[in-house]
Amino acid sequence: MAIIGQKLVRQIRETGWKATVAQRTDDAFTRFTAGLTWDDVRGILRGDPPAKPNPRVKPHTEGFWFHIRPTFYHEAVTTLYPTFRLGYLSALFFLIETITGMFLMIFYTPSPERAFTNMIDILTNVPFGSFMRDLHRLGAEAMVVVVTLHMWRTYITGSYKKPRQFTWFTGVVLLIITMFLSFSGYLLPWDQLAFWAVTIGTSMADAAPLVGREVNLLLRGAPDIGAGGLLRFYLFHVLLFPLIGIVFLGVHYYKVVRWGISLPPELEAIGEDTARKVDQTKRVMFMPDIITNEIMYAAVAMAILAVSAATWYTAPLETHSNPQVTPLHTVAPWYFYWLQGLIKIPHILPFPDTLNFINKPVDDFFALVGLTPKMLWGIVIPPIIIVLLFAIPYIDPNPSRRYKDRKIAIGLAVAFELLILYLSLGGIPTGVPGTGFGYVGGNPVVEVAQEFIPDEGESEVKAIPYDQLIVGKYPLANDPAIDERNAPRLREIVRAIYADIEHRKHTADPLGKKMPEEAEGDVQVKLLQENLKEFIITIRYIDENQAPQTFSKNAYIHKNSDYR
Amino acid sequence: MNLFYKIITFRPSFGLRIVTGLVGIVLSLAICGIVGLTDMVAAQLKTNDEAFEGRLMEAGAKVYFEQCARCHGLQGKGADGAAPAISSIAFLGAQNTNPPTPSQRLKDIGWIGSLESYIEAVTTSGIPIKSSQAWEQNHPPFAQRFAGPLRDDQIKNVTKFVANWRLKPFTDGVVDAPKPGAGSGPQPTPMPLGPKENAGLEVFKGAGGCTACHAVRGVAAGAVGPTLNKLVSTAEKRVTQADYKAAGGKATDAAGYIRESIVAPNTYIVPDCPQGACPSGVMIQNLQQILKPEELENLIAYLMTLR
Repeated sequence: MAIIGQKLVRQIRETGWKATVAQRTDDAFTRFTAGLTWDDVRGILRGDPPAKPNPRVKPHTEGFWFHIRPTFYHEAVTTLYPTFRLGYLSALFFLIETITGMFLMIFYTPSPERAFTNMIDILTNVPFGSFMRDLHRLGAEAMVVVVTLHMWRTYITGSYKKPRQFTWFTGVVLLIITMFLSFSGYLLPWDQLAFWAVTIGTSMADAAPLVGREVNLLLRGAPDIGAGGLLRFYLFHVLLFPLIGIVFLGVHYYKVVRWGISLPPELEAIGEDTARKVDQTKRVMFMPDIITNEIMYAAVAMAILAVSAATWYTAPLETHSNPQVTPLHTVAPWYFYWLQGLIKIPHILPFPDTLNFINKPVDDFFALVGLTPKMLWGIVIPPIIIVLLFAIPYIDPNPSRRYKDRKIAIGLAVAFELLILYLSLGGIPTGVPGTGFGYVGGNPVVEVAQEFIPDEGESEVKAIPYDQLIVGKYPLANDPAIDERNAPRLREIVRAIYADIEHRKHTADPLGKKMPEEAEGDVQVKLLQENLKEFIITIRYIDENQAPQTFSKNAYIHKNSDYR
Repeated sequence: MNLFYKIITFRPSFGLRIVTGLVGIVLSLAICGIVGLTDMVAAQLKTNDEAFEGRLMEAGAKVYFEQCARCHGLQGKGADGAAPAISSIAFLGAQNTNPPTPSQRLKDIGWIGSLESYIEAVTTSGIPIKSSQAWEQNHPPFAQRFAGPLRDDQIKNVTKFVANWRLKPFTDGVVDAPKPGAGSGPQPTPMPLGPKENAGLEVFKGAGGCTACHAVRGVAAGAVGPTLNKLVSTAEKRVTQADYKAAGGKATDAAGYIRESIVAPNTYIVPDCPQGACPSGVMIQNLQQILKPEELENLIAYLMTLR
């Protein structure tokens, strides 16, 4: 200490204190940036040409953070095409998810007794709580999209080919990790959406032959999801998957330093890779060009995300999970719709009767080895797809990356994409709106009530302003006895229910079921307590056994509950 | 196509990058500032809090009508012999009076916590000892950790629902009071039971299965069918009523009315069950086959003591 002090005193004596402070600050700054002085950084941010020898490559060799970034790119890969910055954006979303996730972790306990209450606390008691939750949820969905697009881009430009086979391999691992991260996070709010989406997801594992039961037990910690399952999914979500993700992200990034970003296919001779053999005149240095580019992309992505989370996007939160009550039309996350489509495949085949001559022998064959169609499509096919994804660079015999040489490969990819799209649309639980494709609804009477008072989620009835819920009983009619001026919304809903019932009388649903001709009903609004009303839809009809039936469904609506 | 090519090969100038980046950063920070202001200054959090309070109360209403209304009634007014009123001013106090009325019930039993904590405690663990002879059974425990059907969050929600009656409580209903026999409502006049009547009481509690649905003070606490405490006087009045005769009733005295109600229960549906209008067709239809003739006679003899 004394020695440092003596040196400092001597320096101040010799150069004056201003120069000493300047020199010492710059010194600390240079150590922080692993080799760049304040003037160098200023030059980078101003776009000045570098000095010689170029000091800006020092952080790449001496610092930790920049050693997994290359010192230069080929100028052909610095425009939007060919990368579209999708890989960089994936990493950025990983970072955003980590930061927002740590914020949410502070207020969260992975226990069935506390989790849902914690969610409500985050939304009602934590400043920035609902904003952070929206960011985290929206960022997760965006990350799934960006990572998937990144894989498609890499495939289309043939960038997985030699020498980047292993980069592709780590990328597929990262894609799966992204999906698993998103899916494991699904359970944590412990609401009905979470509970049933994950119950469906893990029950797919249950159907697997031999190990299905054991895998399911390991995942859930018990035959059904409970305290054990929640804790396990939490640990997967905040520990295991992020750790695997960070390791593979590191490898994936290092491969970019090692091999560079592959050039647009038309710039290279077939079978060659010249991404690291770049002529001096074609080099674009990481500092200042790439780094400012990346900061720009990060800032724009962040701004879009923040504006979305603050305005139009709200992360859903349904009611407390209840293992005894399965909400009608339970859904898996949208990025697993294609899996639901696979399981529903007998329902969504085009021309099912025509294709039966293929379908039936195939089913019969698999029945011989003990596989039901559900197991075949839900359990056998997805792993095959994943193995194929891993294997693509090793089984593709074509050395050329040029589009015109890869007509088969690109054609197959487009066909696969269309198939996934088809399966995803078929996997939508209520079918594709307006077409009936993939529809698996039940009794039309129940479906009408579900449409206006769904078991969970947004509901037109609950969104009626409280003061428009005028107590009374209103027979369903095109012109119900409700004053247009006092309760326009209520009137509109009663008319809509009537119109829906009438419509279903004339038009059979995609499964051929029709609303019985005599069906009629009413809407009743009751005042249960001060500030609490009940909305009841009652439908009376004659069933196929000529017995009169009554079906009713209700919703409780509190003055402040604010469903909009 | 040309435009598309131009866009994907566009190379933003250095200045454009810096400006766009700055705009993005400033915009993100501004959004954070606005969110912070609306959360903390414009009390968005308080609005959210009220909204969720309302939504949880809605969930509590669902639990109430599934679990509690069976005994406490659709309006919380209670059922004689089965359960006390929990929507009454005596139980809850009132907040629509000036000053607010405190709860008589909490005062009677010396509960020092809040009304909510009392409702939650009773729903969770039940009432451990009898505070009143007015009820057949103690309040059962409802929490899953006391082997009941409800999760703790459901109990919290139903507590919110019940406590909300405080805003405008009912002034009637079956009052619970800690002194023995001080329950309100009609009570049977004590009658000495002979051997025939005693045998009938056994049928009432046993082979007839009557206690599952009917309440008799001191004997049974069913809350589905009509309460039978004042059966004979009710029956005597009923056989003279025009609507009873219009419905096809043939009895001319109380004993005949009771017999008819047992062997042909759908002849006349009485309007006053603990949970509102009595449901049709719920009463067992073939008691005449189930019971031996002498059992039926004994049962009627017992029911004739409920005056």
